[in-house]
Amino acid sequence: MSFFGAGRSQSAPQGQVDQGRLVEAQMELEMVSDLFNRIVSSCHAKCISSRYAESPELNKGEGVCIDRCVAKYFAANEKVQTVLQAAQKAGGNVGGF
Amino acid sequence: MDASAMNPATAAAFEGMMQQKQMKEFMSLYSNLVERCFTSCCNDFTSKALSSKEEACVNTCAEKFLKHSERVQNDLLTMRGARDPPQAKAQQR
Repeated sequence: MSFFGAGRSQSAPQGQVDQGRLVEAQMELEMVSDLFNRIVSSCHAKCISSRYAESPELNKGEGVCIDRCVAKYFAANEKVQTVLQAAQKAGGNVGGF
Repeated sequence: MDASAMNPATAAAFEGMMQQKQMKEFMSLYSNLVERCFTSCCNDFTSKALSSKEEACVNTCAEKFLKHSERVQNDLLTMRGARDPPQAKAQQR
C-alpha cells in the first residue's frame, strides 16, 4: 500500500535527515494507523454486540465475522483507491476547492 | 514505509516519530475504550459506584475490544503475508 518511495534514490547526505522522505514516511504511517483504527471501529460495530453479557472471549461467529469484515473493508478500500486515482487522472481536480 | 530508502539519520528520526505515534495511539485507545465501555455498560445512575453487573460488563467490554483488535491485526498481517510473501518477513518488526 505504499504510494511513495518507489524508485527514489537517496537525496540527502549520509549524516543529514532527509526531510522529504521523512514527511512521506510520516504521512504513510498516519494513513496506515488511521486505516487500522477505522477497521477496528467499523468491524467492532458490525460484528460484536454491545451486550457484553457473556465471556470476554470472542466466540466463533464473532471471529469469523471479524475476519470477513477486515477482508471486505480492505477490498472496499482498494476499490475506492482505484476510483479516486481514475478521477484524478481524468478530471485533475478531485477533492479540491 | 520502506526503510531501505532512508539514510541512517532519517531512519533514526522516523523511528523516534514512530515511538511518539505509538504512545499517542495508546492514549487514544485508552480514552476511546473508556468511553465505549461506559456508554455500553453504565446506564444505572441510582448510585455513584459501579454495580457488580456494570463492573462485569466493563471488564468484558474492555477485554473483548482488545481481543477484537488483536484479531484484526492478525488478519491484516495474514493478508499482507499472502499478498507479498518475501517482503512480509522483512517488514515485520
